Amino acid sequence: MNDHRITEAFVLVFKTNISNPIQVKSIADTLNSCPDILKWNVDLADIDKVLRIEATHAQCGPVIELVTRAGYACEELTD
Amino acid sequence: MRTRDPNKEALIREKAIELIVNHGFDGLSMHKLAKAAGVSVATIYIYFKDREDLIQQVYTDESRKMTEATLLNFDPDAHFDEGLKRQWINRMTYCLENPYSMTFMEQVKHSPLVERSTVDTRFLQAMQRFVHNAIDRKEIMPLPVEIYWSIAFAPLYQLVKFHIAGKSMPGRPPFIFDEEKINLTLGLVLKALKP
Repeated sequence: MNDHRITEAFVLVFKTNISNPIQVKSIADTLNSCPDILKWNVDLADIDKVLRIEATHAQCGPVIELVTRAGYACEELTD
Repeated sequence: MRTRDPNKEALIREKAIELIVNHGFDGLSMHKLAKAAGVSVATIYIYFKDREDLIQQVYTDESRKMTEATLLNFDPDAHFDEGLKRQWINRMTYCLENPYSMTFMEQVKHSPLVERSTVDTRFLQAMQRFVHNAIDRKEIMPLPVEIYWSIAFAPLYQLVKFHIAGKSMPGRPPFIFDEEKINLTLGLVLKALKP
């Protein structure tokens, strides 16, 4: 049997201007088809329209590029 | 990338309960919570995916803690009088140690935000067994569960509320729910439930 080690996902958090369910849907395919992204959601209730991603790595750059290319503002939500 | 910190997570949960109790569900936003807990908004999103997820998780956790506190040293096969006394002491202790949690759990009962079916079934099973035993042994009369609960527990919760508030009816001195008053009330409740 393989040793299935469970590694904790990296949580990446971004401020975006994705502001309604239709816009969320419009980036769904892009994010779903990205193998590095395990889970994602946009908190539309939050003022920063936070895009939360559980990824296999800790790099924000590739996500920002994906979302920006899809036509939305996206920056890392910093402390 | 930030790492998980159990202490920080516990603080966030605690502050979330306080905010909800003091300002209602609408009074809770990730930004207000961050401020109250002294952490960044980004930190909160490490642990919770959105506001609903946060409320649901806090509820599930509080309900587990409440179950554990309520079942402490409780024997579902004990005589009804003895078991109910243990239940009263456990529930009262929990409410006094976690006054925010008690109010939060009440708020949740009336909120569509929380899926209550995730509740720990250990509690329900123990209480059901306790009551059915007591009915079988003719220690209490069979009653619809709502009526049973209202007689067995509502007096306790009401008096605990008076105690926590430090006041009861207008013009009355502060109400202290001490052992003498607990035994007096419990005695009346047990009498009311006898067949």
